Formats: sequence, C-alpha cells, structure tokens
Amino acid sequence: MLSQLMQAGLNPTVRSAPLTGGEPVEHWTEEAAVLPQHREHLRVDMVVREGEAVAGGAPVARLRDHPEIALVAPMPGRVAKVHLGPGRQLHEIVLFRDAGGDMRRHDTQAAGAGDGSALRTLLQDSGLWRQFRARPFGRMPAPGAVPAAILVMAADSRPLAPNPLAMLEGRGEDLMRGLAALGHLTEGPVYLCQRRGPALAGPGAVEGRLRLLRSGPRHPQGLAGHQLHHHHPASVEAPVWDIHAEDVADLGTLLETGLRPALRTVSVTGPALSEARLLRCQDGAHLAGLCHGLTVPGPHDLVSGSALDGHRAVWLAPRDRQLSVMTHHHGAPRGHWFRNALSRAARPVPLIPTAALEQALGGALPAVALLRALSAGDDETLAKLGGLTLLEEDLALADYVTGAEPRLSALLRGALDRIAAEEGA
Amino acid sequence: MMRGIWDRETVALLLLAALMPLALAWLWYGGIEAAGRLALTLLVSGLWHLIFMLARAQPPSFAGALTALAVAMLAPEDLGIFRLVMGISFGTVMGELVFGGWGRNVVNPATITLAFLGFGFPAAPWPDFVLPVAWAAIPAAGLGILLGVISGRIIAGALLAALLAWAIPGGAWPAGLEKVLPVAWIGLILLVCDPVASAATRPGRWGNGLLYGALIVLFATGWDGGAPVQITVSAALLASLAAPILDEAAIALWRARRHRALARKTEDTSWLT
Repeated sequence: MLSQLMQAGLNPTVRSAPLTGGEPVEHWTEEAAVLPQHREHLRVDMVVREGEAVAGGAPVARLRDHPEIALVAPMPGRVAKVHLGPGRQLHEIVLFRDAGGDMRRHDTQAAGAGDGSALRTLLQDSGLWRQFRARPFGRMPAPGAVPAAILVMAADSRPLAPNPLAMLEGRGEDLMRGLAALGHLTEGPVYLCQRRGPALAGPGAVEGRLRLLRSGPRHPQGLAGHQLHHHHPASVEAPVWDIHAEDVADLGTLLETGLRPALRTVSVTGPALSEARLLRCQDGAHLAGLCHGLTVPGPHDLVSGSALDGHRAVWLAPRDRQLSVMTHHHGAPRGHWFRNALSRAARPVPLIPTAALEQALGGALPAVALLRALSAGDDETLAKLGGLTLLEEDLALADYVTGAEPRLSALLRGALDRIAAEEGA
Repeated sequence: MMRGIWDRETVALLLLAALMPLALAWLWYGGIEAAGRLALTLLVSGLWHLIFMLARAQPPSFAGALTALAVAMLAPEDLGIFRLVMGISFGTVMGELVFGGWGRNVVNPATITLAFLGFGFPAAPWPDFVLPVAWAAIPAAGLGILLGVISGRIIAGALLAALLAWAIPGGAWPAGLEKVLPVAWIGLILLVCDPVASAATRPGRWGNGLLYGALIVLFATGWDGGAPVQITVSAALLASLAAPILDEAAIALWRARRHRALARKTEDTSWLT
C-alpha cells in the first residue's frame, strides 16, 4: 500500500538541455522587482520614493492593512520605478542594482532566544514572512495567525525543478536553527518532506514535534498539497502553512548572523534554451537577465515556475525556483468559425476517467469525484473530498493530462475564492 | 502552460484502437453480413451525432463508433432495418446525446440500445459467437489496460466472481454458466468497461466487476430460456445502473477510513471537518 502510494504519479517530459550537476553559479541580475504573487492583491504604503537608494533587505513598502509586514529590497540598489494600481495595489517596484551597496542587518537577539513574538516581528520585517503560504486558499498568512502545522518542503517533483537536497548541502546547522524557530510559530507538528537519503533532521529538532515525510519520485508526490492531503489536511479553522526548506535554512542564517541571504537557487531550463543552468539569484530577478545568451534564436516565452504550473512573467515570482523558457506559439491558429462555435459550446469539456487522470492526482484522492465536483461547481463536495488542502499547482498535472477547458486549476481557484468569501476569511 | 493531448477524442480513439482485435476477429468470422450491420449502425449513429451537432452545437465524437460496434455485434438478428434503426436511434439519443454527449451520459448507449431491442422484440433470436471472437477480447482487454482507458479492476472483479462461482461448488461450473461465459466476457469488454458509464473509484470498480459477474452467474443459473447475449446485456445494464451508488459507497468508506487514520495519527481531531 505504502510503496504503491510512493509510486503513484506521472513524470511528464519537458524538452530541455540537461541540467548538469555541480555548484550553482552566483548570478545577480542588474534589475529586480518587488512584486505580488500571481493573483495576489497587496495594498501597500511606500516607504521609499523613486530614485532613492536602498540597502539590500531594507523595506521599500509596507502592507496597508498590516504595516508590520514589510516588502524588502532584494538587493542593494536604487528604486527605478514604482508601479501601483488603483487603491495603491502593488503591481511592481523595479530596482536597479548597486553592486557596492550594503545589506541590512537585523537585531536577532530576542528572536534567537526563543521569543515567539520577536520571531514573528523578525520574519515580517525581513520579508521572510512572505515565503509562508497558508492553506486553505494559498495566501500569505495574517501577522497574528497560528497554524495547526507547518510543512517544510525539501522535495520538489515538478519537471526540471532544482534539487532541494543539493541546496541544503553544508547548511545543516542553519536548517536545524530554522526548524527550531518554526516550532515557536505553531503548537502542532512541523513536517519535513524529503526524498530518499539520510534524514535531514530528527524529531528532536523541534522539541520532539518534527515528523519526517518521504515523497516518491513522481509528480505530484513532491508537492506540498499532496503531502498535506495524506498527512495533515487543512481546514478553515486549522490552517496549515508550507515553506521551502531553503527559506527555512535562510531563516537559520538570519538568526545566526542577522543578515538574510539574498540569493536562492533557481533552475533555468526549457525547450528554447541551448544550455540549461543552475543559478543562485536574488528574489524577483529579471528573467531575461537570467537566461541572457542561453536562448536559441526565435521567439520564446519566459515562464516563472515550471512548465506545468508556471506563469508567463517578466520577474521571478516570490516563491518560484524555476525559470522555464518555452518556445513561443502564436496562439492557436484561428480555425473555422464553425469549429470554434462547437468547441466553445461544449465547455466545460467532459472528463473521461482514465488511468492517467487518476495518476495525475497521485492516485490517492477519489480523483474523478473531486474533478467532477470541481467542474460542476459543487464546493461542498469539493471540501469534503479534501479540496481545501489543494491549490492551483496541485491540479496543474491534471490540466496537462486532460487538456481540460476551462482549466481545472482555474476552477479550483474560483471555488476556493467562493469558499473564502463565504467563510469571511 | 504546457497542454497534454488526452482530451475526450483521444480517449475515444484509444478505446477504439483497443477494441480493434475484437472487432476485426468478429468481422473476419462474420463476413459480409457482419460488415453490413456495422456499416448500418455506424451510419445511424453518425447521423444522430450530425443532427445533434447542427441542432444543439454538440461536437460529434468518435465514441459514436464504439456504440455502433457494440450494437452491431450484440443486437438481435433478423430484426429488419427499420427496427434496428429505431433501436440505435433510441439508444444513441436517449442514452447519450440528450445528456450532452459522451462523457456526460449515465449508462452506456449501446447497453440501452440492446436492452431496448431485447425487451421490445423478445421474439428476435440473439446472435451467437464463435469461440475465437471471445479469445480476441483478451488482447483487446490487455491493450485497453495498457493504454489506461479500460480499468483492470472491473475485469479483475468480474473474473473473481467467475472464480468464486467455479470454486464454491467444488471446482465445477454451475449448470448453464459455461455456455454464457464467452459472451459474458465479450460483453464485459464492450459494455461494462466503458470508462464513462462504469464506476470511477477503485473499490467502486471492484464492486462493479463483482456485481456484473454475480448477476451473470445468477441469470445463467436461474433464468430459464435466457440467451447468453440477453443475460449479458441485462447484467451489464444493471451493473451500469449500480455504478453511481457503488462510487458513493466507496467515497463514504474512503472518508470514514481517512478520518480514522488521521485521527489516530494526530490524536487530535478538532481540526478535522
């Protein structure tokens, strides 16, 4: 039963030059941006003005509703352009890099001593708070929220994702310190999900509350949603947070040195590249800068995230660790009006239960029932079947496998938004 | 970003490809007469798909060919063209197209057609199959499982039912069952394993296969004068109608087990819905 669960899933192939092993190359892009997650609405108050110089890690804006949460500069530099929408909604804050600038140092004495509220303040002030994602609904957690559990993902099964275990090599102590700190944010268990190999941490890392989860090799085993579905489903009353292990190690470094590491590991892959690369770059890096000189001639799309669940973008999105460079297709050919009328009248297209569909959801959920509830707009059944633990990325593989129209991930987002509105969350 | 190709038509084409060994063997042994029947059923089924495309903007589907094949193989003989056309029309329209086409239907349209013809014209003789056609259903099943369009669990459930029927009387087939088995096997592949009209959960699929097998055994031993195809069609119809409730039961079971397992793991159930 267990081995069967470990084997469930599919590994779709994305054409790309191979990602050769070895150390990632440090690569600062000259421009970077502070930006919201995909479809995230952040109302901000600016702290700096256009043209002003900022230190790396210094706040450039604060949330209107929660001024304690800062959006920080990913690198020392100068604010080039502030782009806010109506209601001071953040679109992007573009910065130019200043190679000689300094990084902001935080006072970590109280947080390092195990003071929970000081730790929260540190996380929120250093920008690391934004790396948490709360389920259900997949938003950044509110400043005072207490999760029922936290999942640390040291596994990633998305096609061509960088290996999290390689990122953590030599950072064992930082990871331990970070994990211990997470224990002050929740009363519940802290899960650490990794693939095979020696355990990264024992239960003692978080006062005996750490649980190790092993993920299988196939997608979607290495996604937080599927691990949580098995081990700790989220509900509105008991939200569960997830965070990448590299960010937890960064938290450990921050607590030790007072400096938040500015770089994270990102894989640059895709069919429109002559050479794949593993880089270490700053948050919100300029994607064109990351793949400069690597692309093959011809039009291409820059996708922040994996080829399955990424979005076309200019900047690296806050939680993404992948840049996929896809060959650009000039949209679908326009087709005959009659054909278009037929295909549009039949939406949502019916789902045929196949083995592929079942594997796309990891083989554990009653996949067809869940997807039928989703396309029928039956939010209650969706919640009963565990849909509150899932986010868009968890259904990206099902979208790929079925070619569903409208996208199942979009339907899930709609359902989650409806449930959130109903619950007043 | 990336898109796959497993949409409805791909699955229908894969199913057709999987059924090819069966269809070709049947055509080989049936000769020109079988080919004529298949051409007629294909024509009528295609016509109704065309009408629904023009009237209701429903894209036509290759699944119509699946229905046509099953009807051509299993429909009673000597009906005459008019009755056969009426039967296929009823099954295709009322069984599939009024629900919005393949993928939204409740029962396999071929099963509905055959049940309609069987109950409507009980005097018409049911077809017989030579044994090689039943053998040809084995590669069909294998291909279907390999391509992922036929569920091995349904087949396994039905075989388990057959095994029990053989083992419980002490290693012998109950009277009357043996001559039904080849046709029941063909019906299993053609009618019961339709991915849309069968159960969609794993335990539900086992239950669906078991139920089909059990009904075959029941009808074969208890139904005096029932022709093999008649027994097969009746069992397929009832098993298909029971599929939603089997799924519902499987999901209720899954939720109960999951609730218990998670409660045991955390010893704190306050966060469970």
